[in-house]
Amino acid sequence: MKLDIGGEESFEVGIDALWRALNDPAVLVKCIPGCKEMIDEGGDRFKLILNLKVASVGGSFEGAISLADKLPPAQCKVAVSGSGTLGQGSGSATFSLEPQAAGTMMRYSGEGEIGGLVAGVGQRILKGVAKHLIGQFFKALRRETTAPVTPQ
Amino acid sequence: MSEPGQHRYVSSDRRVREDRRFVVGKGNFVADIGLPNTKHVALVTCPYPAARIKSIDVSAALALPGVHYVLDGAELAAATLPLMTGLDTPNVPRRPLAFEVARYAGEWVAAVVADSRALAEDAAEKVKVVYEKLPFVLDAEQALEPTSPLVHQAHGSNLLLDKTFTWGEVDKDFAASPRKLSLRVKWGRSSTVPIETFGVIASWDPWRDMLDVHASIQMPRYADQIGIALKLPVSSIRVHYDVDVGGSYGVKRGIKHTVLVGYLSRRLGFPVRLIEDRLENMRGGDAHGPERLFDVEVAFDDQGIIKSMKMRALENVGAYAGRSPFQLGKPIGAIVGPYKIQSVQYRAIAVVTNKTTQEAVRGFGQAPTNVAIERTVDEVARVLGLDPIEIRRRNMIRHEEFPYTIPSGTTYDSGNYHTVIDKVLAHTSYEELKQERDALRAQGKLAGIGIAACLEPSGGNAMFEALLNPKITTTTFMDSCRITVDGVGSITATMHTTSSGQGHETLVGTVIGEVLQLDPELARVTRPDSLNSLPSGTPVGSRMAIMLGGAAFHAATKLKAKLTAIGAHDLGIAPERAAYANGEVYDRNAPEKRRAWVDLVQIAYRNFHRMPADMEPGLSVSHVMQVPTGGKLPTADGRVQMYPCTSFEFHLILLSIDPELGRPEIVKYRVGHDCGTVINPKIVRGMTMGGIAHGIGAALYEEFAYDGEGQLMAQSFMDYLLPSSHEVPAVEIIHHCTPSPHTVLGQKGSGESGYLGAPAGIANAINDALRPLGISINTLPIKVSVLGDMIAAARDNKEK
Repeated sequence: MKLDIGGEESFEVGIDALWRALNDPAVLVKCIPGCKEMIDEGGDRFKLILNLKVASVGGSFEGAISLADKLPPAQCKVAVSGSGTLGQGSGSATFSLEPQAAGTMMRYSGEGEIGGLVAGVGQRILKGVAKHLIGQFFKALRRETTAPVTPQ
Repeated sequence: MSEPGQHRYVSSDRRVREDRRFVVGKGNFVADIGLPNTKHVALVTCPYPAARIKSIDVSAALALPGVHYVLDGAELAAATLPLMTGLDTPNVPRRPLAFEVARYAGEWVAAVVADSRALAEDAAEKVKVVYEKLPFVLDAEQALEPTSPLVHQAHGSNLLLDKTFTWGEVDKDFAASPRKLSLRVKWGRSSTVPIETFGVIASWDPWRDMLDVHASIQMPRYADQIGIALKLPVSSIRVHYDVDVGGSYGVKRGIKHTVLVGYLSRRLGFPVRLIEDRLENMRGGDAHGPERLFDVEVAFDDQGIIKSMKMRALENVGAYAGRSPFQLGKPIGAIVGPYKIQSVQYRAIAVVTNKTTQEAVRGFGQAPTNVAIERTVDEVARVLGLDPIEIRRRNMIRHEEFPYTIPSGTTYDSGNYHTVIDKVLAHTSYEELKQERDALRAQGKLAGIGIAACLEPSGGNAMFEALLNPKITTTTFMDSCRITVDGVGSITATMHTTSSGQGHETLVGTVIGEVLQLDPELARVTRPDSLNSLPSGTPVGSRMAIMLGGAAFHAATKLKAKLTAIGAHDLGIAPERAAYANGEVYDRNAPEKRRAWVDLVQIAYRNFHRMPADMEPGLSVSHVMQVPTGGKLPTADGRVQMYPCTSFEFHLILLSIDPELGRPEIVKYRVGHDCGTVINPKIVRGMTMGGIAHGIGAALYEEFAYDGEGQLMAQSFMDYLLPSSHEVPAVEIIHHCTPSPHTVLGQKGSGESGYLGAPAGIANAINDALRPLGISINTLPIKVSVLGDMIAAARDNKEK
C-alpha cells in the first residue's frame, strides 16, 4: 500500500548544524527508529540494520538509505528501502532547509510503499505507525542537534 | 428407486456416528499424527506480485543450530515434474516453489527444514533473497489487453482458455424476441476457509521404497499426482485416508505442499511436516476461490418468458492454472438453472494474473453463475413490473416435463419446483412477508425481499474436463465399497478416501443396515490406505451420497445374494425359494426352516463341504460403481451429459438495511430444499445450514482483496470476514422429496446445498431494498462500506 509522507518541522539550531547532523551516520543511527547499525558504503549510500515491530508482526529488516540531489545546506533527496521476511518497504522524500529567525525550518514530502505481511496485517494502523516513526525520528534529531544544557 | 417412508433406517433422524469423536475432541487430524524424528517446514515467500529471483543466500539460515536444510525452487524443479493441471497449457508450469520467477505476493520461494516450526520460521527470516521487481497485472480485463505484462512469458499471453459454445438458435431467438436486457455481475474472490489449515506429513522409508503420506486432503487422484510429480511408482506412495479433515469444501488440494515435503523427506531421510499457519494458508496456500466477471444478455417476451441467454464469464484464476479454469465448465451442466431457456451462448474465458492461485470451491463455480442467472431473472421481472416469484414460476420446468434436456446437453433427472415454492409459501405467507417489508420501509429502513431458485447438480462426473480440453478423454468416474463379514460375524465396510465432515461413515453404515436389515451401528466403516483401496473419485461434485452410497448399496446387495445362496444350498432348496430377512435366510414355503447369521458365517468360513459349488469361501464382496448416466464424450457441438442428478433449492429472504450505516441484517430466511431421498436428515440439515452461512459470507463479507500494488490485504480473520452467529440468522428449511430415478434410494446430492443459492438470494434482497432509491449493485461481496456510500450518495441526489 502507498503512503504519502509530508510535513514541516522547525529546529532551534542553525541551518549548517542541521545539515551536518543529517549527513552524519553517527547521528542518524541514533535517530532512525529501530536502527541497530548503519554501515557507510561510500557515495552517500548506507546499509541499515533495523529492528521494528508493527502491530502483531515484528522482525528484523535490512535496508539501504541513500542521499542524492544534494544542494548543501538547503536540499537533499533521501531514498530508503528495507526488507525482511515480514515485508518490505521503500520510500523517498525531499527535504528542504530554510533559515528562520530562531533556527531552521525543514519541509519534507515524499511517498512510501509498504508490502508483504506488514501491509496486510497492519494496514489499518500503518499510516499512524508511519507518522509515529517519523515523529520519533524528528524528536531524536532535535535531541541530537540541541547542545546539552549543563546543569546549574 | 424408492418412496419416502418405506425405509427402516434411511431418512430416519439417526445420530451421525462421526460426531461422537469430534464432540469430545478425539478426532485424529494431521497435526495429531506423531511420527518419531519429524522435522518441520517454514516457508520463505516472495514479497512482490512479480519478481525475478536473482539469488538466494541460505548461509545465515543454515548457520542456526537445529536447521537442517533450505530447499530452493531450482533444486526442486530439477528433481520433480511440474504439478498436474487440467488445461493443455505446457508453458504455464506450476511448481511447489517458484523457479526463476515468482508470480504473486506470498508465493513460496524456499522451504526451511528445522527441528521445530518456530526454529524454521526464525531461520526463514535469515534467508536472503535478491529480487528484481517485474511489472505485474491484477485485473482480469487488463490482463487481456495486448499491452499487459505477461504472467508467464513463455506462454505468450495471459489467456488460458477462451471457448464459446452455442447451444440452439441463439441469434434467431434474440432476433425474434421483443425485449432484451443485459447485466454485468461480479463475483468477488472468496473461498471456503477451513478452520484447520492444510497440513501434510511425508515420511520416506528407503528400506521399503515407500513414501507414507498423512494429509488434510480432499483431492481426486492425490496419490497418482504425488507419484507422477516425484517420479516414483504410485505403488510407492501410501496415502493414509484414516485422517480426519477439519473442513475443506473443495480447497484442501495441497498437492504442492505434498510434493515439497515428499521430496524433502526423501532427500533428508526423516519425516517432514508442513502445517500452514493462517497467513501461509491465505496468501500462499493456493486456496482462493473464483473471481468472476459476468456479462449476461437475455431475450424475452412481454410475458417474461426468457427465450435465450448469452453469457460471457471471465475468470481471474491467479498466477497458475490449477483446477480453477474448469470451474467455468462445471456450470454448463445447469447453465439455464431451473428454467426452460431454449438456447444459450456461453463464452468461458480464463486469464492468469499476479494473484494467489485458485482451487476448487464448494459448487465448483456454480454459485457465481447462479448469482448471474438469478440477478438477471430479477431484472427481467423488474422491467416488466412482474413479481419475482411469478416470473420464476412462468419460466420453470414443470414437474411433468422431466426428464428434461437443457440446451447444453444435460438431462435433468427429476424435480417439482412449483410444489417446492408452494410449500415454502404455505409455510410463510408471501403477502405477510411483503407487508412486513413495507412496515420496515415505513419505519425509515431500507428493506427488501430476496428470491433465488437454483439447482445443485450432483453425482459428480467431471465431463467439463473433456469439454474444455479435448485431449482429455476420461468418461469413467468411480466410487467403491467393500464389505467383509469376518469369521465371527462382524461386519466391516470400507471407503477409499478421506472425509472433511460429510459423515461418510454414517452414510455407508446406514445404507448397509438398510439393505441387510440390520442395525447400521453393527457395520464398522474403515478407510484403508491408498495401496489397499478400490477406486474412488473422492468427495467432489456433491457425489458421495449417490456414489459411495450407491457402491455400499450394491456391495450389500451382493452380500445378501451370497448369503441367500449359501442358506438355500444348506436348506436344500432352490435359491429362488430362499428369502433373506434381518440377517437370516429362510424357506419361503416353510419359514420355520432357516439359517441364522452365525450359521451362514460358519458355512462360509469353516464348512466348505456345505458351500454351493463354484462359490468363493469367506464373506467379502466389493462393488465399483460408475456414475449413473453419461459415460459419453461431448458431441462436436459441445453438448454432454454432466452430473446425473439435480437437487433444487428455493430461497426466500427478508432483509433490512440500516440506511445510515449501510449495514444489512437478515430478518427472515426460508429455504425450500429438495435433494430426493434424504439418507440422514441431520447431515443434510448441517450441509444446508453451513452452506447458507457460507453463502452469506460470499454475498456480504468475504473477500481476498488486493491493494493496487498487488499485496493481499486480507491475510487473517481480522480482514477476511467470516460471518459469525451475529450475521447468520435462524433458517427454516422446508423439505420436499422428488426422488431421482438414477440412484439406488432416490437420493441426490446436498454437499453444496444452501451455498448455491444464498448469495443470489441476498443480492436480490439488497437490490429490492435499494430499488426505492433508484440504485442497484451487482458486485459481490456487497460490503457495508460500499452500501453505506451508495445509499448516502443516492439520498443526496434525491434531495437536490
